Amino acid sequence: MSETVTKAAAEAVVAAQVTGTDPASVPATTGARQFRRRLRTQRAALVAACVVALLVLVALAAPLLTALEGQDPTTYHPSLIDSARGGVPVGPLGGADGDHWLGVEPQTGRDLFARLVYGARVSLGVALAATVFQVAIGVTMGIAAALGRRWVDQLLSRITDVFVALPLMIMSLALLAIVPASFPRPVLVTLVIGLLSWGNIAKVVRAQTLTLKELDHVSAARLSGWGPWRIARRELLPGLAAPVITYAALLVPQNITVEAALSFLGVGVKPPTPSWGQMLTAADVWYQAAPQYLLLPAGALFVTVLALTVLGDGVRTALDPRAASRLRVGTGRRRENKAAAAAEQGVSS
Amino acid sequence: MRQPPLTARRVAAASIGLLVAAGAAACGPEDNDAKTSGGGSAPHQGGTLTILNRNPQQDFDPARLYTSGGGKVPTLVFRTLTTRNRENGAAGAQVVPDLATDTGRPNKDATVWTYTLKEGLKYEDGSAITSADVKYGIERSFAPELSGGAPYLRDWLVGAAGYQGPYKDPKGLAAIETPDARTIVFHLNKPEGEFPYLATQTQFAPVPKAKDTGTKYEEHPVSSGPYKVVRNDNDGERLTLERNTFWSAKTDAERKAYPDRIEVRSGLDSSVINQRLSASQGADATAITTDTNLGPAELAKVSGDKKLAARVGTGRFGYTNYLAFNPRVKPFDDIRVRQAISYALDRSSVVNAAGGSSLAEAATTFLPNQKSFGYEPYDLFPAGATGDAAKAKELLKEAGHASGLTVTLTHSNSQDFETSPEIATAIQDALKKAGITVKLQGLEDNDYSDTIHDVKTEPGFFLAHWGADWPSGGPFLAPIFDGRQIVEDGANFNTGFLDDKSVNAEIDAINKLTDLDAAAKRWGALDKKIGEQALTVPLFHPVYKRLYGADVRNIVISDWDGVLDPSQVAVK
Amino acid sequence: MSRLSALKGLSSLSGLSGLKDINGLRGLSGFAVLSGFGGFLVRRAVGVVLTLFAVSVIVYVVFYVTPGNVAQITCGPRCSPEQVHQVAQQLRLNDPLYVRYWHFLEGLVAGQDYSTGTSVEHCAAPCLGLSYQSDQQVTGLILTKLPVSLSLVFGAMVLWLVLGVGTGVLSAWRRGRPTERVLTAVTLAGTATPVFVIGLILMIVVCGELQLLPFPQYVNLTDDPEQWAWNLLLPWLSLALIEAASFARLTRAAMLETLAEDHVRTFRAYGVAERSIIARHALRGAFAPVIALNANNFGSAVGGAVLTETLFGLPGIGQELVHAVNVVDLPVVVGMVLVIGFFVVLANAVADVLYALADRRVVLA
Repeated sequence: MSETVTKAAAEAVVAAQVTGTDPASVPATTGARQFRRRLRTQRAALVAACVVALLVLVALAAPLLTALEGQDPTTYHPSLIDSARGGVPVGPLGGADGDHWLGVEPQTGRDLFARLVYGARVSLGVALAATVFQVAIGVTMGIAAALGRRWVDQLLSRITDVFVALPLMIMSLALLAIVPASFPRPVLVTLVIGLLSWGNIAKVVRAQTLTLKELDHVSAARLSGWGPWRIARRELLPGLAAPVITYAALLVPQNITVEAALSFLGVGVKPPTPSWGQMLTAADVWYQAAPQYLLLPAGALFVTVLALTVLGDGVRTALDPRAASRLRVGTGRRRENKAAAAAEQGVSS
Repeated sequence: MRQPPLTARRVAAASIGLLVAAGAAACGPEDNDAKTSGGGSAPHQGGTLTILNRNPQQDFDPARLYTSGGGKVPTLVFRTLTTRNRENGAAGAQVVPDLATDTGRPNKDATVWTYTLKEGLKYEDGSAITSADVKYGIERSFAPELSGGAPYLRDWLVGAAGYQGPYKDPKGLAAIETPDARTIVFHLNKPEGEFPYLATQTQFAPVPKAKDTGTKYEEHPVSSGPYKVVRNDNDGERLTLERNTFWSAKTDAERKAYPDRIEVRSGLDSSVINQRLSASQGADATAITTDTNLGPAELAKVSGDKKLAARVGTGRFGYTNYLAFNPRVKPFDDIRVRQAISYALDRSSVVNAAGGSSLAEAATTFLPNQKSFGYEPYDLFPAGATGDAAKAKELLKEAGHASGLTVTLTHSNSQDFETSPEIATAIQDALKKAGITVKLQGLEDNDYSDTIHDVKTEPGFFLAHWGADWPSGGPFLAPIFDGRQIVEDGANFNTGFLDDKSVNAEIDAINKLTDLDAAAKRWGALDKKIGEQALTVPLFHPVYKRLYGADVRNIVISDWDGVLDPSQVAVK
Repeated sequence: MSRLSALKGLSSLSGLSGLKDINGLRGLSGFAVLSGFGGFLVRRAVGVVLTLFAVSVIVYVVFYVTPGNVAQITCGPRCSPEQVHQVAQQLRLNDPLYVRYWHFLEGLVAGQDYSTGTSVEHCAAPCLGLSYQSDQQVTGLILTKLPVSLSLVFGAMVLWLVLGVGTGVLSAWRRGRPTERVLTAVTLAGTATPVFVIGLILMIVVCGELQLLPFPQYVNLTDDPEQWAWNLLLPWLSLALIEAASFARLTRAAMLETLAEDHVRTFRAYGVAERSIIARHALRGAFAPVIALNANNFGSAVGGAVLTETLFGLPGIGQELVHAVNVVDLPVVVGMVLVIGFFVVLANAVADVLYALADRRVVLA
């Protein structure tokens, strides 16, 4: 749900701001190779990265996988359900067998594996696309505020404040109400999430840009008469990469949960397009008669969000180990904790 | 307009049967003939019956109730001129005398109906029930402040169209005569052979003029039946009924009235109701519900548990869910397109979406599959179990849609398994094989019923349903297919705009019949004739499954309303 | 602005107490002459008003300047052309945008009369308009639903603060031991579980399988406080478990920070018991950031409350919002968004003040 990550977001804001107040830690130390090396030392993050890669692969290859299974997500199979018993799947394990790997949906007999992997497409597709929007808007607004004149900064910062104050779930719900039903739903959900929830990233970028602006090489570029666009592209964006990537990695799981929540409430993706949130809504009554129908989408959602969160934390640790160590979550092992404690002491002394 | 607490309700509903084993143990030794009719011995007199319902009895004024056969809880308090036969199944769809000595004596062309009241009928205060009280009860129902009943009395009684009720017009209705205290005569506009069915409705319950408190009457309606209202809290949410000592079983062959006391608890979630009934703890062991069915997932759970399955009552109410066409909208003006869709339809998917074969029976006739409706099995466009795609494609080709057809199906967004998205999605799939692409248009509940019943906004292709006010073909076919009932500005139910002279004439002819069996046969034949127009595609008739408590005996469910009859129930 | 100032406060965690960036307050530089705590309060109050004004502008523009027929959407699909015309008059749709907005704002602040053709109905301030579909005033509608939502959110808030801070303290105290690893894993799982999944599972297990609690049905606090709490327990838990996770993370981090400071090491060297250090010093250090995070998360918790209410069938404003969205009852949707926005902005301001009380450095900066 949005809150899980908004708070992670808050922490990221902190972490990034910490970075921002300490120019020395910014670009030079965060080479791509070093980043990979740091990421590799975190076992949990590595596992999470593999899970995420697998999920993306599954989503991309959904048509292929279902073809391999010989099924599709929308065809009804009346013969696979017990009509006299309310349409509960025939056979043990919800009708799972060689033809239907994860069983079939009660009442319709639609293939659950196919619906699950096509649901992954919606989930990941919407979340990633929305993240791109959020980053694009956030970075643009942040840089514009930081490099613009004072009144521009005032105006943009105020707008950003308001967008931070508007609760994402509430606004998305409300916006989805007024858009005609004919508008393609997944695109709409992507746009709504993307256009609403860029406030925090804009703040991070603005703060970081203000810091970078004072650095020698940026000042030099400015003095030698480079235009703001060229400065932004050549001098600022590389320095912004670390906090932006960190933040974006935290936005993805947030967007996944928001999409699922909207579909769960019945205002997101509409049937017959499969989505995990929607499956959960339909499955709740079947938890006793056909438990796998509920457990599959719930499990998929849990694993996806967990993997993305752990990966996000890993990315943050790899990009800025000092800030992250203070707020680190579950990637902790004993030895690392000691190291972190040492780092803490180093900071305070 | 209330948004139901969906998920909680649904989850709770699904959790049926969890405490059953524990509950049974707590109840001590098992009584195994728990099912019907009390296992041979006479049903037990006394005890308290609890009724757990979703909807409160907000209207408890006989003038305002719109019930079929006198209603469920109201039938315990109100007696009417006639009533439904309190028997299981098809026998229960017959009309029998109640306050009157017979089901009514018509004149030759069925425009005048005469009833005589039984002797010794008394209200809860011991005063006598007179024919003038029945007349007064009917007149009250014309008062604008007591609206809510069925429209038939206004349409049928001579000179009643503009009548505003006894408060404004104390002279009353001349169309109802009461020559003496036990006789009442009705004069009708046109022949109505089915008048005895109408006389089962609560508007035909006696109301003593001296006790009439207008809109406040429903707080304490005066009982003519076996129970009287002793408590009515929160607008019908909690009711307590106790024996009416002046009611006599000798004058009432229909109501058994075994329990001494009846407690109605409503405003509950359907999940909570089903969960309490399945657990059957304490007072819930002697509880029933008159308005809450088992859903598909609940049924899947219950049917896997023998003890629970034995406590499920099955009933049928004359009701049809169907696909409707609007021939004023292209391409549905072409009968071949309508036929093609009829042929293509895979009903098994639709039945499954409606809850499976135990909760829905596939329909090929518009009339419900019950004898009293004159049901005559026919299947004019045989689609088989899975649809006849070849035949459908052939017809579409003839109609100039060789490359396939795309249509929009309008449905509601309610969660009723009738016009809901699940059914619409199933139809989408069911027509796919015939090359018919269905786009879905979902409307909110209120919006939906307004849209489809307004000729200006009626969509071309939509989900609809129809239920009968009494178990006969008349109230089933006439509002939908009588050409004179097309309403251009207002609520229109003839959504197929059928205005066929021969159909209209046959409806008039059948209405003249007072032999209800003969009438039923002709309604059945008329249904088949109308079916040839392919203005509707019958989908399914619903079946009601309802749980009752472990100590409930003497279960009677008639085909009239399909509901466990509280007037017959005994509690252990 | 509130959030940034709160977060800026958080950055003191780093030990770099030189607070360079006060951008959040720069916009109010005109008030910078005001100093001390009183000045701070004034600045915050002005900030709240300005933010609320901006929220109302954005909400108005987003919902009332849509491409469709606003009067028709507002009135509902079943309105006659005459009624739609009436609504268009009421909303001043023929006037320029700023006039329309001003009229809208006037209604909010001073109340407004609604003409229904035959009669005139007065809608007292704060007037959020009339729901034409359900024929009632939006303010009244929201007021009847508000107690449920407030019960849910504030009850859950107590729970998540207690659970979150408690877990954080425990894992900071037991750092490096198995307890901490278990707590860390649980916390992580908490942050990764959507509220509707946790709620659903809780409901299934607690109400369905174990039958420890009845399926929740809202009871008024004033009617029966015991039943009120009993019925809200599960919704509170669902909402709180997820929120608590991030508080646990933050508390642990803040405490570790304090525990690493020199003076704490000095205490330890003098033999002060660890338990006392935790309680007296480390916990105090966690106070300010927890307040800041609480404000930061209030908005998202309200979003979670919508899901919780829908899940458990609690008749609060969240459920009403979902209903209004489903039937496209525009005045209700707009009213709900404004009211929720109001609470979020207010929560941020309150947290700022509390935060300032806890850490005077913010004010002095």
